[in-house]
Amino acid sequence: MNRPYNGIMDDHRSIADATAVILTGGKSSRMGRPKALLPFDDEPLIAHIVRRLGRVFAETVVVAAPEQELPLLPVVLVRDQVAYRGPVSGIYHGLKAATKDVCFVTSCDAPFLNLALISHLLSQIADWDVVAPFWQERFQPLHAVYRTKVAPLLKDQLERGELRPIFLYDKVRTRKIHEDEIRRLDPEGFSLLNINSPADYDAALQLWSKKYSISVSVELFGVARMLAKTQWVPLDLAQGATLAQVFSALADKFPVLLGRVINSEGLSNGYTCNINGLKFVRTPSAKVNSGDKILILSADAGG
Amino acid sequence: MYGFHGRLLHVDLSTGQSFWHEIEKPRLRAFLGGIGLGTSLLYDYAPAGVDPFSPANPLIFTSAPLVGTGLTTTAKFAVVTKSPLTGFIADSLSSSYFALELKRVGIDAIVITGRAAAMAYIFINNDKVEFHSADHLRGKSPLECESLIRAELDTPAARVAAIGKAGENKVRFATISNEGRHAGRGGVGAVMGSKNLKAIALCGDHATAVADPTAVDSIAAVLRERSLGSLTDKYRKIGTVANLAVFNRLGTLPTRNFQQSTFEDADALSGETLTENNFSRRHGCASCTIRCERLFKAVDGGEQRLEYETLFALGPLCGIHDPEVVLRAAHLCDHYGLDTISTGGTLAWAMECSERGLLPGAEELGLKFGQAEALLAAIPAIAEGRGVGALLAQGSRRAAIELGGESMRWAMHVKGLELPGYEPRSLKTMALGLAVSPRGACHNRSGAYEADFSGEVDRLRTDSKRGSLVAASEDFAAALDSLIVCKFLRKCFTDFYREGAELLSKVTGWDYSSVELKRTGERIHNLKKLFNVREGWRYDDDWLPERLLNETLPTGIAQGVGLSAAELREMIQQYYRARGWDETGNIPEEKLGALGLPTHISSMLGVRNETDPRTKP
Repeated sequence: MNRPYNGIMDDHRSIADATAVILTGGKSSRMGRPKALLPFDDEPLIAHIVRRLGRVFAETVVVAAPEQELPLLPVVLVRDQVAYRGPVSGIYHGLKAATKDVCFVTSCDAPFLNLALISHLLSQIADWDVVAPFWQERFQPLHAVYRTKVAPLLKDQLERGELRPIFLYDKVRTRKIHEDEIRRLDPEGFSLLNINSPADYDAALQLWSKKYSISVSVELFGVARMLAKTQWVPLDLAQGATLAQVFSALADKFPVLLGRVINSEGLSNGYTCNINGLKFVRTPSAKVNSGDKILILSADAGG
Repeated sequence: MYGFHGRLLHVDLSTGQSFWHEIEKPRLRAFLGGIGLGTSLLYDYAPAGVDPFSPANPLIFTSAPLVGTGLTTTAKFAVVTKSPLTGFIADSLSSSYFALELKRVGIDAIVITGRAAAMAYIFINNDKVEFHSADHLRGKSPLECESLIRAELDTPAARVAAIGKAGENKVRFATISNEGRHAGRGGVGAVMGSKNLKAIALCGDHATAVADPTAVDSIAAVLRERSLGSLTDKYRKIGTVANLAVFNRLGTLPTRNFQQSTFEDADALSGETLTENNFSRRHGCASCTIRCERLFKAVDGGEQRLEYETLFALGPLCGIHDPEVVLRAAHLCDHYGLDTISTGGTLAWAMECSERGLLPGAEELGLKFGQAEALLAAIPAIAEGRGVGALLAQGSRRAAIELGGESMRWAMHVKGLELPGYEPRSLKTMALGLAVSPRGACHNRSGAYEADFSGEVDRLRTDSKRGSLVAASEDFAAALDSLIVCKFLRKCFTDFYREGAELLSKVTGWDYSSVELKRTGERIHNLKKLFNVREGWRYDDDWLPERLLNETLPTGIAQGVGLSAAELREMIQQYYRARGWDETGNIPEEKLGALGLPTHISSMLGVRNETDPRTKP
């Protein structure tokens, strides 16, 4: 009886209480042109990422190279004092500029960010200093959560010439997020894709259009409707999408649902999902089809 | 003794005498408190075949071991008697401060028999029982009675449960009300009225010791924290009125006397709309962290409590789409002390009969679906037994039998109790739960709908699993209702029987196992059935109204879905098998023996008070 009850209470550190840090100061040498300015979904890539994160984080910090050209952005803009010193310097400047004590750090070339995964990373920070995904046998330092208090260690690292962020991970309490944990929220790992070359860019554009090739509508009831202040939410998803993607896209549109109705496992306890008014399903891996109406409602019909 | 006082108070209103009796420990262990203890006492105190309005029919109030422990949602009490609506067991729960006071007067139960010579109320002040005239309280609402009685007793701490005019006039679905809450179903208020008992006031200072207070506090802290998580979001943020929009979307919202399962104006009545337009404040029972009650602003500037069942019954079931009208109708039911489900169900029957030209006298009220003024005029007429109201005060089953002819086809009840707001054709597990419930069509003594809403079964089709699902749900409810824990906390247990048994052990000092608690739930449910059998239950009492078996649903997602008599019969047989009962629905002696229940009732079988009419399935 006195055991902890995982997941029963909302266990999220809110995105709304963290800073998003976006590093843009890379050389873009393989791309041949500035990655931050690549057109993506009808806007510069950096604007696209800022818009997605800016809606949900308490603040957004963009770290740019000295003199780097950027569109006008609603962010705190900081410039690295020395150009092209690599990610450790970028992370350091981002953390230093943040007013929140926890930051999610990413780069300007990752267009498929997934708020449910980011929210999960943030939810894990309680007893750790860094929460970093470990994907395809490598840490992903530019899709990770850091406490701002590690900034001085990064500065020491820079002074020692240790230019890889993972040198930090041995010095602090680092929570490694394993691949299966990532796949629960982002089965294909799209959120960890970076655009480095023109070929990557073409593939990303194609993936973007494919990712949104079927349409479903979500109908919200009760608390979910009151929080989102809407009843119907149309969503475009990839062919073969599952409920996990529905929940993730929904959280993307209505971050207010995160930690309340939607959590890192899918739906919070107390909520359920019904497809087309017929079948009750809670399994995030359940497939959805174009035209489906997905009802999100209380799991408790009593009263 | 821990968790209990080990005694009951028997008040005989005919003689004005009171007696305290010991309650044997084995009875407490076997039936706990609440509904279980009440059923056990009813079985022993009610003469077989007693008329519900006879002075001999006991009206029993029970407390329970968890009451007063501080555990969230446990400030509850049960009222158990023989129902004047069904002729079978009426077991109703209510809650809040009256429940805590009942425990503080130092008894586990009050058994009231007899009939006062004139309208009276009783005041139980610890070990003293006073009888007071209630002549001046005639016609007063339960809430008015509470303040008047407290004032005249000069005891501000007294807690009062009272009946309204409906109870005084023996409307067969009258409630007993305390602090705005009701022991609502089955007509317990009419039994109280038949005893000329207007109210019971309580004041006490007996503490109840628990065996391991530290452990109880620690368990209570865990459950309190869970009760504030997402599992209870619905109840905490919107209340049960949240059901309406969902049920409409799923084709399970009974509308216009079950002619449809969707309501075209559901948006106007949804919990979401009400919250946005009419929300006034949130309220909760004593000792409750969930605080599910919602008070809404009514047009006259007042506030009105509203639950889903009231909203459905006085709204879509009667074709009413204006929330203001529903709020006013709910206020009238509270004022007169009427069960809102049976009021709505009986009025919906009357509206349908009136539209079909079957109900003389209905024209004067203009009773038709959607007619707000007629609905609002009919409620006082029922409470006061005026005009067609006198017929409707009997409930839909008796009214239909009295009216006769085709009207019987439109009476939507099981065993005389009007159906709650769950459409059986599109909730097949619930259909079975409603058909077999000892209380009649009831959504509280089992939560059979949970399986339908879980994805565990296909709610639109029948299959062989339903019997055991319903039996398990009934046993679970019996255990909850006897501990007592509110059903809105049920999902906060990860393993209810284990955690419930642990809690019970820490309170009582007994070594109660999860197996024993489960068995207790089963025993209590079987005793309810045994009581009904003794009072003349017959195989065809476990059935659903004809409409549900002859008409398919005409609208919504469940359009075209029906339920055949053969499907229902098969599910009922599965249920009897799951219960270990014979194919006629009777409990074999070996089963009774194994549960420690009386096995010598065969001589009494079939005793049925013939003022309890039935419709044939």
